[in-house]
Amino acid sequence: MTSAFIEIRDIKKQYGPITAVKDVTLDIRKGEFMTFLGPSGSGKSTTLYMLAGFEYPTAGDIRLNGRTLLDTPSHKRNIGMVFQRYTLFPHLTVGENVAFPLRIRRLPKADVERKVREALRLVRLEGFEDRKPALMSGGQQQRVALARALVYDPPVLLMDEPLSALDKKLREEIQFEIRRIHQETGVTILYVTHDQEEALRLSDRIAVFSQGKIDQIGSGQTLYAEPATRFVAGFIGDSNFIDTDVVSVEGSHATLALPGGRTVSGVPLHSAGPGKTAALLLRPERIDLKVGEAGAADALSGTIRDITFLGNNTDVLVDIPAGKQLSVRLPFGHPMLDGLRPALPVALSFNPATVHAFQG
Amino acid sequence: MLLDFDRLGPWKWVLITITTLVCLFLLLPIVFIAALSFGSSQWLIFPPPGWTTRWYGELFADPRWLQSAFTSLKIAAIVTVLSVGIGFLAALSLNRGSFAGREVLRALFLTPMILPVVVLAVALYAFFLRIGLNGTTLGFIIAHLLIALPFSIISIGSALEGFDKSIEDAAILCGASPWEARLRVTVPAISHGLFGAAVFSFLASWDEVVLAIFMASPTLQTLPVKIWATLRQDLTPVIAAASTLLILFTMLLMIIAALVRRGSKQGTKP
Amino acid sequence: MAMTATAAPGERIARRRHAAFVWALPALVLILLFFVTPVLGLLLRSVTEPTLGLQNYAELIGTGTYARIFANTFLVAGVVTALSVVIGYPVAWALAVLPRPWGQLVFAIIILSMWTNLLARTYAWMVLLQRTGVINKTLMGLGVIDQPLALVNNLVGVTIGMTYIMLPFVILPLVGVLRAIDPAILRAGALCGANSWQCFTRILLPLSLPGIAAGALMVFVMALGYYVTPALLGGTANMMLAEMVAQFVQSLVNWGMGGAAAFVLLVVTLALYAVQLRFFGAGRIG
Repeated sequence: MTSAFIEIRDIKKQYGPITAVKDVTLDIRKGEFMTFLGPSGSGKSTTLYMLAGFEYPTAGDIRLNGRTLLDTPSHKRNIGMVFQRYTLFPHLTVGENVAFPLRIRRLPKADVERKVREALRLVRLEGFEDRKPALMSGGQQQRVALARALVYDPPVLLMDEPLSALDKKLREEIQFEIRRIHQETGVTILYVTHDQEEALRLSDRIAVFSQGKIDQIGSGQTLYAEPATRFVAGFIGDSNFIDTDVVSVEGSHATLALPGGRTVSGVPLHSAGPGKTAALLLRPERIDLKVGEAGAADALSGTIRDITFLGNNTDVLVDIPAGKQLSVRLPFGHPMLDGLRPALPVALSFNPATVHAFQG
Repeated sequence: MLLDFDRLGPWKWVLITITTLVCLFLLLPIVFIAALSFGSSQWLIFPPPGWTTRWYGELFADPRWLQSAFTSLKIAAIVTVLSVGIGFLAALSLNRGSFAGREVLRALFLTPMILPVVVLAVALYAFFLRIGLNGTTLGFIIAHLLIALPFSIISIGSALEGFDKSIEDAAILCGASPWEARLRVTVPAISHGLFGAAVFSFLASWDEVVLAIFMASPTLQTLPVKIWATLRQDLTPVIAAASTLLILFTMLLMIIAALVRRGSKQGTKP
Repeated sequence: MAMTATAAPGERIARRRHAAFVWALPALVLILLFFVTPVLGLLLRSVTEPTLGLQNYAELIGTGTYARIFANTFLVAGVVTALSVVIGYPVAWALAVLPRPWGQLVFAIIILSMWTNLLARTYAWMVLLQRTGVINKTLMGLGVIDQPLALVNNLVGVTIGMTYIMLPFVILPLVGVLRAIDPAILRAGALCGANSWQCFTRILLPLSLPGIAAGALMVFVMALGYYVTPALLGGTANMMLAEMVAQFVQSLVNWGMGGAAAFVLLVVTLALYAVQLRFFGAGRIG
């Protein structure tokens, strides 16, 4: 545990009566790409700003390389940061912007020139030295900001939703660039976003924030396949939740009564408590669908309400008992697709070991 | 329709006529005074019987005119520097601070601008008589600073509103100390606001009459006080000459301000 | 540096907020020492000189001469405000719609007149309006009048000079208000069957009324406290309130009465600004 590069220990941030961050603890390895994912107001940006030193934790500690950061003012932390908005200095050219941190550090002129050239090459903006920021596109500006944040070789790079102002296509292009730059430089990156796709595409590990605390930390696959909370399950990937009654609990698994009366057993149960109901998570692409009445091996019976073609996939919306609906996803070219049409009775089944239930 | 110039219908000519007349009304005294300053008539007969530069000669021959102009310039320059400096700090405080009573402070800072100047002049006159600042350069500077400061705070304040504080934060993470970031990044980025503050502060002091009348002594007069005192005696064409020079000076400032604004726009607009 | 990790953050935040307040201190000290103190001092003298009491205010209200000065002041301020609005509104309207180069020219003329030294402008009007001045001569030459009109050293002169000064203060804010009105609203009005005059009286005028009211109130307040122009164009017989304040102090050295008159002016001004803030918000001032 103590070998972690960045250690965040029980930090808390209180604004008057409002607790923005409560008891967040997190270790980050050197060279890791860690993303803070969560909706707005979940405390992810506040945590990042405490690392930058623009906010001070009400309690707790943040350590870099084993030494606390809290006694160091922002400008001496030697941390790089790219902001949500374009923060290039408007009165300086691109070259002068990138040179700014080096000039502050009073590096010799020759070194400044060399490093600025290298940094601009890293973000593929060679030859833009004399451009004014106002004359560049948003994507270019954020790449210059990235060069400026990396030019002094900071051990940590913070990124606060740096692509949220860009359109989707440009965003994907720069996500690719960021990945490449992470691999080339080996810098430790802490990245804040509310976009799960962006988080999955970029990160080694993701910390999912909800209401001021971290719900789960893990790789994208782990979060998707083994969500620890209902919030994580709902936030990562598409999901159906159906309300079930808990019939019995066997260790960490449970037997649940589904709408329509059938029961399934051996479902992994989370946050086991005294509640008599549990929300069952069913990923749309992991539900098996069959035309016809439900047999003994099937979990649910239903009727097709609607079929939506989405390119790669086709979403089939199924009415199930108790007035609920479930979305089932079939890949393009699936042999069953041709036979489906609204009002057709269908049977649904799933492998109980690969789904999750969250007790209320 | 009514807000569409080409489709105004009959309104168009009404508006154009009134606007033309108002423009003539606004230009009349300015043009008239410039013409009179070159007229040969001592009694300001118009049109003048002949043309002369005699009044300019008299103006420059009288050391009291030059003296008062120099005094005005000196006071206005010092007021400008102090007003921009103190105004920058005050605007920064109002913009960034989250302390209680911030809005009260803002209102207090702007009050000298809305209060009738004569009230402030009489009050300051009484106060300065007691503490011995009447008729001193320092007294002038303080009096003019009071009315210049609100212009600075408004001008710099609105520039700060339009400035994204994240840019300053970025400079701080780049290694600049908070004041280094403010001076090297914020100040250049809001330079148009600082320039506006300087121009307004300068003019507020340079053109100020009422406070100056009360602050002046026989040995310390600003240009407006000299014009005022002369006006009260007679309407000599020398005043027309002085006024014409003042108008030229104003036009020069306007042109510089317009050029600076254009320059700063070119730098920031894509 | 030796602070414990738990105590430090709170202290730092407190110090940060404190720091922002400290930057306002130079301005605050200046205003408190040289603005608040002198004004309060003057008000104090209005109730202590020559003796403690409200006798200065009683005299101010009870004396016919002073009553006439108050009447003059409000009359001139009212007429100047009305004239500025009536003349200024069409100009603001024109500015809101004029094609670019012409609009810029009109703007430049307004700004030039506004920035020209106040005394230079007032001097010009003194010369223009005098008995032998250009305006009288022109009117006589045209045969409109056969005796020169008394245009200066009376309230007519003051009104002309002040209207000249106040016009830009009505026009400039009104342009903003008129430009903010969506022209599509007027097109919609026309499609609803309103003719040009109805469009003006039923749509454009009501929509610009808040701007007119704000500008008028501002001009009225400024005119009430104006000193220079009334003093030079009005002559001694037609005093206004600001002049009276100055007279009490400068010629009569009566600080009690001067303070009382100043206080009346101050209260009226601040009350009208309070009205302005209440109904039009802070944005419209200045």
